[in-house]
Amino acid sequence: MTVTETISEFIRDKFDIGDDPDFTNDVHLFNEGFVDSFGAVEIIHFVEETYSIEITQKDITLFPMNTVEEIAAVVESKI
Amino acid sequence: MYKLYTSAVELLDVAAEKYGERVAFRDAADEITFSGLQSLSRRLATALMKKTDTGRTRPVMVYMPKSIKSIVTFMGSMYAGSPYVPMDYAVPLARFSATAQNLCPTAVITDEAGKEKLDSLGLDAAVLVYDELIGCDADNSLIDTVLNTATDLDAAYIMYTSGSTGTPKGVTISHRAVLDYTKWLTDTFDITQDSVIGMQSAFHFDNSVFDMFAALFTGCTTVIIPEVLFMYPEKLFDFLDEEKISIIFWVPTVMISVANSGILSRKKLESLKLILFAGEVMPIRQLNEWIDNCPDCKFVNMYGPTEATDIVLYYVVDREFTAGETLPIGIPCANMKALILDADGKPCKKGEQGELCIGGSGISSGYWNSPEITERAFIQNPLNNKYCDRLYRTGDLVYEAEDGNIIFCGRADSQIKLRGNRIELGDIEAAAAAMDNIKNCCVMFSHETEEIFLFLETDAEIVQRKFNMELKKVLPAYMIPQKIVSMESFPHTPSGKIDRQLLKKQYITERND
Repeated sequence: MTVTETISEFIRDKFDIGDDPDFTNDVHLFNEGFVDSFGAVEIIHFVEETYSIEITQKDITLFPMNTVEEIAAVVESKI
Repeated sequence: MYKLYTSAVELLDVAAEKYGERVAFRDAADEITFSGLQSLSRRLATALMKKTDTGRTRPVMVYMPKSIKSIVTFMGSMYAGSPYVPMDYAVPLARFSATAQNLCPTAVITDEAGKEKLDSLGLDAAVLVYDELIGCDADNSLIDTVLNTATDLDAAYIMYTSGSTGTPKGVTISHRAVLDYTKWLTDTFDITQDSVIGMQSAFHFDNSVFDMFAALFTGCTTVIIPEVLFMYPEKLFDFLDEEKISIIFWVPTVMISVANSGILSRKKLESLKLILFAGEVMPIRQLNEWIDNCPDCKFVNMYGPTEATDIVLYYVVDREFTAGETLPIGIPCANMKALILDADGKPCKKGEQGELCIGGSGISSGYWNSPEITERAFIQNPLNNKYCDRLYRTGDLVYEAEDGNIIFCGRADSQIKLRGNRIELGDIEAAAAAMDNIKNCCVMFSHETEEIFLFLETDAEIVQRKFNMELKKVLPAYMIPQKIVSMESFPHTPSGKIDRQLLKKQYITERND
């Protein structure tokens, strides 16, 4: 699976999204109500553990991580 | 009373002279010195005065992302003699429109993207773009004339809070109130030019008054913490460490999320010296975790509604508290007084619960353009019939403990605090009731789980995420319910009212058990 697919599957399972057609790789996870602010931490923990990387406070500040694609882009830049 | 200055923006002139090239504010993109801030703000003020009719009754709305540019705009508005009105950049346009209707601003200052959004509203005010306002030269003699004719009772800012009928209300705060409050806070807690403040508050909440004006008073630096970091408590902690933040004035929600992340037991913060918190009740367990991590820090529990320039009471944590105890909200700060009155307006004895009523130089002059609700909330001190002595009725139930500290017990109405945000449940009800296919609705709050429950009487099938998306078009994100329960008909009491107790029992209490 690609990084994008892995993250997408994790979010779909973790936040009970099921087969909602509105959930796409470029949908804003927080504005569109798929993930709440507490869930953001869980996503970061997941990618840090899965890919043995560290997402720093500077990464979070400098790069948007609001969609599956955006999160995947940050992860891919570190692996 | 701190009489040296008339306008709060005079503090910037003094800071520019005393601290000139020191960094006043830093955000994720930029930093600005005190003299740089003064220069930009005066240029903006000059352009503003050329393009619009400014003055003490002509407020300026500021609709910008949280950044240094916002601060330039606040200062520029005050240099032009107009109160600034900070707006949430994420506020739904319908709410922005309702606010503008009450405020009747002379201008809105925004960025290009904001102007595009606001153009559709057809506002009866000039919509000006920030970048186009800072290009002209400052007319300092014009600004000096404005400052010389200002009075300290003119409004420095107007902040809009949730209103119980769905219309936001504008709390009007004077320059005197800002000056007295900041002077008290910076003196009391020895804030110096070596301090570094880590700003959490959004500008449309009044904790930002401290973050901004403390820098101007003392020459210290305020770092605007990127908002996204508050979603990631551990990374936020790293930020405090790397930026060597020495003072934070946060809502307890953020402190709680940092404590709950477990980072406090894994990493020490060496630079932090003063931790102020206000806006909601701080739980003892998480407070103790912070105290264990920062044993050399001073912790201060603070209390104050927007109507009283941020803070009225404070309590320096001076002993260990154990689970089950309530942290006092303390004693009044300088220039402020607190009375606890019973239902007949008579003072309560020690230990007796009553409504907290507050007075002093920090009290708001009222709600902008809203004399009726002002009259209900602001009263003449019933214990003084000799001269005008206004009190604000907070609606908070409190009592005075034996040691003189005031203890908060709860609310007398349906106002709640959620993650530091003040919310009138009626505000949410008004928004939900206006949605299609909703026959009736009611909103309740679970203090145990800190969740807003919205009950809908409807024949339609409700999908929570989609309904919330509709609500987000008219309500700020912090007012969106965590749980929605829909049913074809509400249970009623014998008198015909919605049986709230039954709903609470079936959907809130039993669910939590």
